[in-house]
Amino acid sequence: MEKSDFLQLCREYHSIDDYALSARILPTVREYIKQPNTSKMPVIWLETSDSGDNNIAFMNTTYPYLNQVFSDMINLFYSNTFMAAQGRDALALLEETATVYDGEFTLVVEGAIPTKDNGIYNIIARTKYYNLTALDAVTWLGTSAKYVVAIGTCASFGGVSAAAPNITQSVGVGKVLKREVINVSGCPVNPDWFVGTLAHLIMYGRPDLDELGRPKLFYGSTVHQHCQRRSYFDKKDFAERLGEIECMFSQGCMGPRTGSDCPYRQWINHVNWPVKANTPCIGCTNDNFPDGSAPFFTPLPQKNQSKQVNNEQLSTTGKGESYEPTENSV
Amino acid sequence: MFRGFEYIMRGRNVADAVYMTQRICGICSTAHGAVASYLLDELYDNDIEENAQYLRNIMFAADFLQNHIRHFYFFGLPDFVIMPENLLFLNQNCFDCRLDASDNRRLSSHYIEAVKVAQKCHQILALFGGKAPHQHSFVHGGVTVAPTADLINQAQFLMEDIQEFVKRYMLPDTELLSHCYDDYFHIGETPGCFLSFGLFHFGKKNEQVLWKGGVLDRGSLTQPRLDLIQKDISKSWFERDKETGDVSPAPYKPGAYTWVKAVLYNGKHYEGGPLARMIMNGYYKGGTSTMDRIVSRSLETFLITELVKDWLNCLKPGAAPLKQKEQIVKNQAISVTDAMRGPLLHSASIKDDQVRKYDIITPTAWNFSPKDLAGYRGPAETALIGTEIPSPELKYVIPGRIIRSFDPCLSCATHLLDYDTNNVEHIIY
Repeated sequence: MEKSDFLQLCREYHSIDDYALSARILPTVREYIKQPNTSKMPVIWLETSDSGDNNIAFMNTTYPYLNQVFSDMINLFYSNTFMAAQGRDALALLEETATVYDGEFTLVVEGAIPTKDNGIYNIIARTKYYNLTALDAVTWLGTSAKYVVAIGTCASFGGVSAAAPNITQSVGVGKVLKREVINVSGCPVNPDWFVGTLAHLIMYGRPDLDELGRPKLFYGSTVHQHCQRRSYFDKKDFAERLGEIECMFSQGCMGPRTGSDCPYRQWINHVNWPVKANTPCIGCTNDNFPDGSAPFFTPLPQKNQSKQVNNEQLSTTGKGESYEPTENSV
Repeated sequence: MFRGFEYIMRGRNVADAVYMTQRICGICSTAHGAVASYLLDELYDNDIEENAQYLRNIMFAADFLQNHIRHFYFFGLPDFVIMPENLLFLNQNCFDCRLDASDNRRLSSHYIEAVKVAQKCHQILALFGGKAPHQHSFVHGGVTVAPTADLINQAQFLMEDIQEFVKRYMLPDTELLSHCYDDYFHIGETPGCFLSFGLFHFGKKNEQVLWKGGVLDRGSLTQPRLDLIQKDISKSWFERDKETGDVSPAPYKPGAYTWVKAVLYNGKHYEGGPLARMIMNGYYKGGTSTMDRIVSRSLETFLITELVKDWLNCLKPGAAPLKQKEQIVKNQAISVTDAMRGPLLHSASIKDDQVRKYDIITPTAWNFSPKDLAGYRGPAETALIGTEIPSPELKYVIPGRIIRSFDPCLSCATHLLDYDTNNVEHIIY
């Protein structure tokens, strides 16, 4: 709105009820506020039942560093970890963002959603009038978000928060929303997977997803396909104990059943990953993690067959078990 | 938030405890991995090589540095400094930000430096530990990664950068805050009852600690006796089955107000954290206030950078220092260490190699203990009680500063005081 238009408006409305002027101007003001950041993605980040490890993992991003993600890629309006607002100011911010950016914001959910007793095991905000549970908040915001991104395995599939016996009946975000959820799994997520997914959404829109709703770009091949120790496996040269240089299949490695690019990408400025550290991959990106990987140090064929967890046989027939990605994206 | 880790652990292979319990907390994961490894060392009767202890402590310390730096700059700084015009800091409450414009600009710019240096702390952890959070190599019996010359050298240069940051920014920034906000040396005081399990274990059986622990009660220091620790659920959303003694969640329990169980030592509440460790080890002489907790955390950060440099020098290049015994020789064990926020305890009873019962008492459970049966409050609540709120604008500011000086870990002990609520207010009035 040009200055002259604004003055004209004020002249026209000066004799009418004050509210009419505000109502006429407010939408324009909102447009104006949004303008300088139009290329940045508006984001609401909800933390539900998890350990906070995914926001710590996100802080470890390099190129872009965390501050660069905030300054150049996303407008993080609400995040209980990062924001300075507290108390009622914070809740107001959440409501305002959801209203102003209705249909435009990306909802990032970190953590599983407890569903038992209407979700009382995770309350995001407690006011004098009502309790906002994680279940309520995700259901509310999930319907009006442009994209929903589940960060970490808890948000994607329930993960450790939903491990047997799962007394809070926690589930992944996809189970409580009737819409597409982009699952960026991992325990924790590798920051490249998360920041890379955001970059894809910003630059090229929705990435190709695998049958578990994960970007194929990162999860499209198994750890086993790209493992540096594949030659040992092929020669059946297995490590006799942890700490050795040979194949970790004998030590419980989940690599053959785990979609992720860890061997190439590696962790924390790309310096290392579990197998390089002479330990097995424990399949933390899978939809049946951790129960499908337990016991962690037992070879794959015997996992959860020799041992019963919580007196009941854990399901080994989940989607992750039979899943063998075919597309090689590297 | 309630997840029920103690229930999740039942029936699992006890060796999985190292990786599973790290998932309790994303910011202090190595602490859980460490104490679970000590517990397994006892169950297996492992002998730990000296090189393994150096490596373990380097990794643990790197996670400490990461935690303290992130806490100070990401969570603490916005309490005292007006942060730059940035969406992250919308609705920041700046009614009592006292730095002059140039100091304010300087300190807020250190946020960006902290982003990079905290990442470097985790890079040291990942070099030896495979990844972070939730490292892989610090397991029972030692460490699975070989300390080779290249890794030691990389870690040394990363450590130089980290220490430089702590010296050039973190210590002077802490000093400046403590001058501008010196009234906080009298706000949020606790009764001065401190507990620490000691930090940085050495010795074949993890039996030595570099920084001693103890129970400090108004000047007298004694060794902690684990049999005197009790949990009290009178104000927590839990109930105890009268016959079996099993504790289960009870979210509708009348009179309860938190998922945190009260923890008592010999019937009393105790505070843990950097202040407790610094006082007991003679590095800090001061009070028990909000600012004392902040200052001692920064001091500890510097001391830890010195230690890591020493340990890196002591490492001998060679094979992975790992000797895991084959057979479990005990059916129960308790292990303790101090973690970033204070005393951490794991205990397990097992049958064959399966967990029958696994118990975890986190530092935040000590610091944020709710009222016990007798009505006495834990350290953080005590610090809040009686705090004067001179004007309505400071309703969240002052309690926020007090609470955050304890470095509350919302995941390991659940969301006790949710900043999105009015709970804080209720506690004060």
